[in-house]
Amino acid sequence: MYNLLLLVPLLLVYLELSSNFELSNLIVGLLIVTGILLLVRPRRRLMAWRRLPSAFIALMKYVVILAYDLIISGIQVARIVLDPALPIKQGIVAIPSESESELGTALSAHAITLTPGELVIEMDEQGVMYTNCLDATKSEKYVAEAQKMRMDLLEKIFS
Amino acid sequence: METIFQLIAILALVVGTLFSVVGVVGFIRLPDVYTRLHATGKVGVFGVVLLLVAAVVGQPLGWGRGLVLISFLMITGPATAHAIGSAAHRIGLPRQGADRDDLLCASKSKS
Repeated sequence: MYNLLLLVPLLLVYLELSSNFELSNLIVGLLIVTGILLLVRPRRRLMAWRRLPSAFIALMKYVVILAYDLIISGIQVARIVLDPALPIKQGIVAIPSESESELGTALSAHAITLTPGELVIEMDEQGVMYTNCLDATKSEKYVAEAQKMRMDLLEKIFS
Repeated sequence: METIFQLIAILALVVGTLFSVVGVVGFIRLPDVYTRLHATGKVGVFGVVLLLVAAVVGQPLGWGRGLVLISFLMITGPATAHAIGSAAHRIGLPRQGADRDDLLCASKSKS
C-alpha cells in the first residue's frame, strides 16, 4: 500500500523530467516507476516533519561547501599537473571518521574524496580512513576541522 | 537576459573543456596509479559537470535533467576512484616517493 502511495510522486517526477505528457510516455513512465519500486522496495520511515526545515538548510549548506571544495580541488590539482616540476609530496594520512553509523562513514569518505587532493583508499574496523593526499605536508588540524564540520552537517541532514 | 545566459554557457564550456584537458594531461604526466586517480577522478568530473552546466544554461535541456545527471556524476565519480584506489592498494602497487605513510605504521604496530 505504501509503495502504491510512492508511485504517484515518482511518476510525477518522471513526467516533469521528460516533459512529455502523451499516453505512451505515461505508460513507459509507469513501467519504469514500477520497476524501481520492485527493485528498491522502500520501507516506511518515520518522517520528523519539524526537523525538515533545519535538515533542508543543512543540506543546502553542505552542497555549497561541497561545490566550493570541488572548485578549489580542481584548481589545485590542475596547478600541480601543469607545473613543469610536478610538485607532488604524496603520502597516506589517517583520518578518523567519528561517525557511529555505516551510512555516515560512507558519506564522509565520499566527501573527503571530493575535497582538495585527497582520496580514501582503505578503511579499518574503527572507521579510520586512510587517505592518499597529493600534498601530505598540509597540517592535520585543518583536515580534522573540515571533517568535523562536514560530520555535523551530515548528522543534521540524516537524523 | 538571453545574452547573459549565453555568456555563462560559453564560459562554462571553455572552463569545462580546459579542465577535461588537464585531466588527460595529468593522467599522462603523473607518476603512479594513486596520483593519476586524483587527476581523472576529480578534475575529470569537474570538467564534465561544467560541460553539463553549459548544456543546461545554453540549450533547452531542462534544469531537472541536468541536476539529476550532475548529482549522479558526483556520486559515481568518487565511488569509482575509491574502488580502483583500494584495489590498487590491496594488490600492493607501489607509490612514488611517499613522504608519509600512516597505513604502513598502523599495519606494523598491529603485527
